[in-house]
Amino acid sequence: MVKAISTPLRIAVVIFVVLTAIFLLAPLVVVVGVSLSESQFIAFPPSSLSLRWYEQVLSSDSYVSAAWISLRVAILVTLTATLVGGAAAIAIHRRKLPFSGALATFFLSPLVLPTIIYAIGMLMLWSAVFGPVSIVTLWLSHTVITIPYVVRTTLAVLSESNPFLEEAAQTMGANRLQRLWLVVVPQCRPGLVAGAFFAFNISFDEAVLALFLRKPGLTTLPVQIYGQLEFSPDPSVAAVSTIMIGLTIALILIIDRLLGVQKFASS
Amino acid sequence: MSDRAENTLLVLPGLLLLALAFFVPITQMLVLSVSGENGPTLDHFTRFLGDPYYLNVLWRTVRLSLIITVICAAVGFPLAYIMARVGPRLRLWLIVLVILPLMTSVVVRTFGWMVLLSRSGLVPQVLRDLGLAERNFSIMQTELAIVIGMVQVLLPFMTLSILGVVTRIDRRLEEAARTMGCSFMQTLRTVVLPLAVPGIVAGSLLVFTLSASSFVTPNLLGGSRIQVLAASIYRSVTQTLDWPFAAAQAVILFAGILLILVPYARLAGGRSNG
Repeated sequence: MVKAISTPLRIAVVIFVVLTAIFLLAPLVVVVGVSLSESQFIAFPPSSLSLRWYEQVLSSDSYVSAAWISLRVAILVTLTATLVGGAAAIAIHRRKLPFSGALATFFLSPLVLPTIIYAIGMLMLWSAVFGPVSIVTLWLSHTVITIPYVVRTTLAVLSESNPFLEEAAQTMGANRLQRLWLVVVPQCRPGLVAGAFFAFNISFDEAVLALFLRKPGLTTLPVQIYGQLEFSPDPSVAAVSTIMIGLTIALILIIDRLLGVQKFASS
Repeated sequence: MSDRAENTLLVLPGLLLLALAFFVPITQMLVLSVSGENGPTLDHFTRFLGDPYYLNVLWRTVRLSLIITVICAAVGFPLAYIMARVGPRLRLWLIVLVILPLMTSVVVRTFGWMVLLSRSGLVPQVLRDLGLAERNFSIMQTELAIVIGMVQVLLPFMTLSILGVVTRIDRRLEEAARTMGCSFMQTLRTVVLPLAVPGIVAGSLLVFTLSASSFVTPNLLGGSRIQVLAASIYRSVTQTLDWPFAAAQAVILFAGILLILVPYARLAGGRSNG
């Protein structure tokens, strides 16, 4: 910097950052606070502390089964989206197929369409063709909306990779499968990992598709929470929400270990 | 096996999945929006556009989305600029500050606002204590509640979009402006802001689209009386079970988004090139 920034400006910047931080974190802090409350009613700050709402959540059939469904869907979605999206990104990156540019747009298109519009379409089509929705409906639709993230992160990593490695492997006698598995896939790894985390996080937290494609017995955790909020929230909702926030923090820590949060944020 | 065959095999599963599970459903929805009992019809559209109630819902959706987008840009730009210019340690913390809410479910964050804004909640209580509000004051079930909640939900998207552009701005440009006698604020306005326009545009497009199409936060914070278009679609699907009408509303929603965004992107894109 040529000239130092004036002191009033510096103070203004600090105040701005602190206020923004409070604004962004307040709802999360409040949820954690409410979950630790002893009281029957939702109150923040809590007057006395207890863990009884966690106990209640862990022994509640509806929450546990919803968590189980969310987890199963998220794991399935992560696997399929990473596999399908990663493979597509590798092929798109090589630019040997006709219409490579159009292909990339095609694979990113679910990002552009508002999820609610897709959710209606999926519900209508599924009901017309297969009847009642099932966990497969949720799996497919979550895979569709997460594939673009995997394609984008993988393409970004590939665009910075060394294009001659694959050729070198070919000259050295590696066959197609060996080249793909031993040269290209390891090059893609940071992109695949970032995409997989996006996929898991989006699927686990997603509420729009899950609300449209629900039926009794097929309720994900966010939908279960939404139902409680519309109806009669008690501190047990806060306990479940806190567990979800904890999971997010864990995810961020793992991402930071594997990739660095800054890199992840810029994709 | 040829190169062509290998690449086709790699791309095929995704191609089929998106075609069958993305484009077919959307086509199905488009068809349903114009289907009536006696063949194709535009009845669902005329019903929406001829009813003052629904026009009001549409207008509220557009108005709130615009307000939310403007606030997000106004807060997101300085935040992103600060993130780009502080030291690496602080930057890491600021990125976590933005990413943690972003990666937390919208349902959970909205719940936090429900607690904060309710009649017995912290925000009205503080306002009452300061003598700024009356005893029965509540923010819940108002458009203000929707705006507060949605800005918190969408600010991270805006900030990260702008951050991506601002980090690529050459610092020497700012230094040159300062050497030539610009104050800090002048530099910000005449050098950084114009260069950040592509990020602000991208962020605004994203935030406006997400804002206009969301119903979870508006439903929970605004209640059933203050309906936005997406909430009305949700109600048509789950409560009145009028699917063709829901499809028509979805088409109107998307058309509306495009109608506002395409000219905006043109205008802003043209300016940033010039």
